[in-house]
Amino acid sequence: MASFNARITMPAEAKAGEIVEIRVLVRHPMDRGGQVDSEGRVVPRKILNRLTVTYAGEPVFRYDMHTGVSANPFVSFTTRAVETGDLTFEWREDGGATFTRTARLVVT
Amino acid sequence: MSAAGRTSAIALLALAGAAAAQEIKPGSAFLSPQMQRQQEDEARNPGWLWVEQGEELFSRRDGTAPTCLSCHADPRQSLRGAAARYPQVDATSGKLINLEGRIEQCRVDRQKQPAFGYESQELLGLTAYVASLSKGVPLAVSAEGAAKPFYEAGKAFYERRQGQLNLACTQCHDGLVGQKLRGDTISYGIGSGYPAYRLEWNELGSLHRRLRACSLGVRATQFDYGSDDYLALELYLAVRAKGLALEAPGLRR
Amino acid sequence: MSSPISPACARPEPALSRREVMAAGAASLALAALPASTHAAAPPALAELIARVTEGAVPERARITFDIPQLVENGNSVDVAILVESPMTEADHVRWIHVIAEKNPFPDVARFHLTPRSGRADIRATLRLATSQKVAVVAALSGGGYVMADADIVVTLSACIDGG
Repeated sequence: MASFNARITMPAEAKAGEIVEIRVLVRHPMDRGGQVDSEGRVVPRKILNRLTVTYAGEPVFRYDMHTGVSANPFVSFTTRAVETGDLTFEWREDGGATFTRTARLVVT
Repeated sequence: MSAAGRTSAIALLALAGAAAAQEIKPGSAFLSPQMQRQQEDEARNPGWLWVEQGEELFSRRDGTAPTCLSCHADPRQSLRGAAARYPQVDATSGKLINLEGRIEQCRVDRQKQPAFGYESQELLGLTAYVASLSKGVPLAVSAEGAAKPFYEAGKAFYERRQGQLNLACTQCHDGLVGQKLRGDTISYGIGSGYPAYRLEWNELGSLHRRLRACSLGVRATQFDYGSDDYLALELYLAVRAKGLALEAPGLRR
Repeated sequence: MSSPISPACARPEPALSRREVMAAGAASLALAALPASTHAAAPPALAELIARVTEGAVPERARITFDIPQLVENGNSVDVAILVESPMTEADHVRWIHVIAEKNPFPDVARFHLTPRSGRADIRATLRLATSQKVAVVAALSGGGYVMADADIVVTLSACIDGG
């Protein structure tokens, strides 16, 4: 079975007010479904449909994904460094499963 | 041999080596500049998602079995260059073995665990991880000694017409390099970027998976993953690519 | 102009509130449930797909730099870069950026929700495009207006039908 991993690339430190770029790459087949399997059943859609990012508790970014997003999707967005804190990344999958990762940003 | 004789022999050898080395370019040379950059960007090349999985497996404890790490401590140092020497002849069995085969052999014989299976996500992860430790290392696979009969078999495969399209690898990958085949540009068919994340597959895959795709492309028999035919061909390709840098995890269309 | 109770005229909220998250989620799920092909013989024109997300407003073609290759190497993974000129302040920021691929089976491809804390309206992502088509990006501004950009892209076939 494929494992879920996420590669989050962002600076560990930033000056207050600076805009930081956050790059996110996740492993997921983003199966759009619709194909018929060997037993004649229609394969259901199974994709990550949402990524929500909070920064020290405040939501700062949300990515709504549909079947037109590639497998193993990459996204990059920006956020202002306001205070030292954790960025929490939460992915939601069709069916309700969620995956979480955290990255710390130190603001000087 | 006289000094003059030696000089001209060396010069001839150098020319032959240089000619071969000059001509052969890796698959990445046939990517757009953007894809070339993406291949080198660890934040962006999805192949690294499998390398991460492999790194985790490398130190994972399976019951009482020794971890890979227990024999291969400090893999960044101890395993650097290892992947660039495969395929090679296994001293004990006399069989030709590639990196995937060696990893499975360790798992079964030394870790006493069931084999992962060719093209399983675990084996892909471990192969990608071990190969990534040799990223940038020049390929150094021997065609001599015990490897010679396998090299000859691989060369024969490469030069033999196959399939409904009756094509030999050499016809495109030597004769038509740089020309267009629909949206693609024909490369030297080197394979130094494998295991690679292929956009066509939406995932990382092995060289043998790519070779199977080539076979299907000319409507020829697709040999099994880990088959003698593809192993011999893999050896021939690695010798052909001698001196080129190992690129795993590669990024390909 | 849209009716007073439409989200376009609502007071802009500085952060993604729970209610907005739920409402937008329901809206985007509804959009996803309507594939282009279930409509009459011809799929909805791009203008109609855009009107669905702007609730009828016609976006201005301005402020957006939309980078997408004209000739796509492989439709499975297409890099896009979207930059919307905006001060990204409380008073004037981009609320979301929506991507439409007119000929994909499900043309509403993605939506990026931003806040004044984003600093810039600057997004990169990888999309999946079924065929040669027009791809449009529509951005909703906090003041109530919309801006857009689009591009015609060609998706080529790979060299061999090699079964992967």
